[in-house]
Amino acid sequence: MSVSNDLELVESFQKGNEASFNELVRRYQEKVYWIAHRFVNDHDQADDIVQEVFLKVYRALNDFRGDSGVYTWLYRITVNVSLNTIRKQRIKDFLRIDELFDYPSEESERPDKQYEQREQKQLIEEAIQRLPEKQKAVFILRYYEELPYEDISKILKTTIGGLKANYFHAVKKIGEFVNRAHRAH
Amino acid sequence: MRTEHIKYSLMDYITDHLDEYDRDQVRLHLQQCSECQNHYNELIAAYDALRHTQKVLPSPAYYSTILPRVQERLMGHRDSLWSDRKITSRLILPFAVSALLLILLIRTPSDFSSGHEQTDALFQAVKDYSADEVVQAVSNEYAGSSVLSNQEVVSEGIAEHLQGDHFIREALMKQIESDEIVDMDIEGVLSGLNREQAEQLLSGLTGREML
Repeated sequence: MSVSNDLELVESFQKGNEASFNELVRRYQEKVYWIAHRFVNDHDQADDIVQEVFLKVYRALNDFRGDSGVYTWLYRITVNVSLNTIRKQRIKDFLRIDELFDYPSEESERPDKQYEQREQKQLIEEAIQRLPEKQKAVFILRYYEELPYEDISKILKTTIGGLKANYFHAVKKIGEFVNRAHRAH
Repeated sequence: MRTEHIKYSLMDYITDHLDEYDRDQVRLHLQQCSECQNHYNELIAAYDALRHTQKVLPSPAYYSTILPRVQERLMGHRDSLWSDRKITSRLILPFAVSALLLILLIRTPSDFSSGHEQTDALFQAVKDYSADEVVQAVSNEYAGSSVLSNQEVVSEGIAEHLQGDHFIREALMKQIESDEIVDMDIEGVLSGLNREQAEQLLSGLTGREML
């Protein structure tokens, strides 16, 4: 049996073959999970995002016309759902119902207060979580996913020059955050 | 390559994502530009720190649970489509009603006040029942900046001059649900809301499709 490419799977789904959707899920579930986890740094939230992404994909698949690559489209949905999850979480935090979601308070997040108990890895994760959302998206797609700028440009609808600037500032901010924590220590 | 271009290529240089020509350009530039050398040193330090992060992988069994759960939720697809429609009408209706009330208010003698032109512009925007246009009108009139670049000013402008939390909610929802990914200072926006407004915003967000 030949392996269908992504577009063939979409066309097959549009002709009524539901199994093609299942194949798309199997093909991309790890990527979607990994990107989502990078955004939210939490398994349960990442799992929710994965579910939400594939529900959206299923609902929108019949309208997909191939203007962009399937994976570009899927990445874009993943980034959007991830960012929306973060935004909702911030509003929940703002409403001070954060104890239900086990999020640290602003005070306890200060690097000089907790550095002694924190490993470098956690520090980096925190630095990434604190990036502005666009910089975070660029950083994750470029540094971890190693996507070409051309693809990231299609996913985030941003110029390549803008992406490079975002990537530069994201890494600098991560470095500065880690430095501040080290100095405080 | 220009200095700016070199600066923004440094991370790709460090991670070896440049072709040979660009790599040589960056290397030569670094030998003669102290500013870029400083950037390079900072990025190298960050890169060293980043290497401490590892890919977080769930157990292999986890992936086998994804598809069945998606399929289960798709079983209720028709129901959810119906409920989406109900949510949309529940949100749009009060907005339309408040817009109509506002039109009536705007048509009071305040039309003849010194703020006549501004009110007129708002009236035009409100008439179309479009939160986008309302936000844009307020933004243009009071903040003089784009909606996405200065949300705090815009939301304050709406709060101060329209005194209608429907508009605040709609404006924020538009921004938060936007398909565009922006460097949004959401805490700054939230700081302009009271608890009730934030709760309304949250309930709107959780009940709406984003894409």
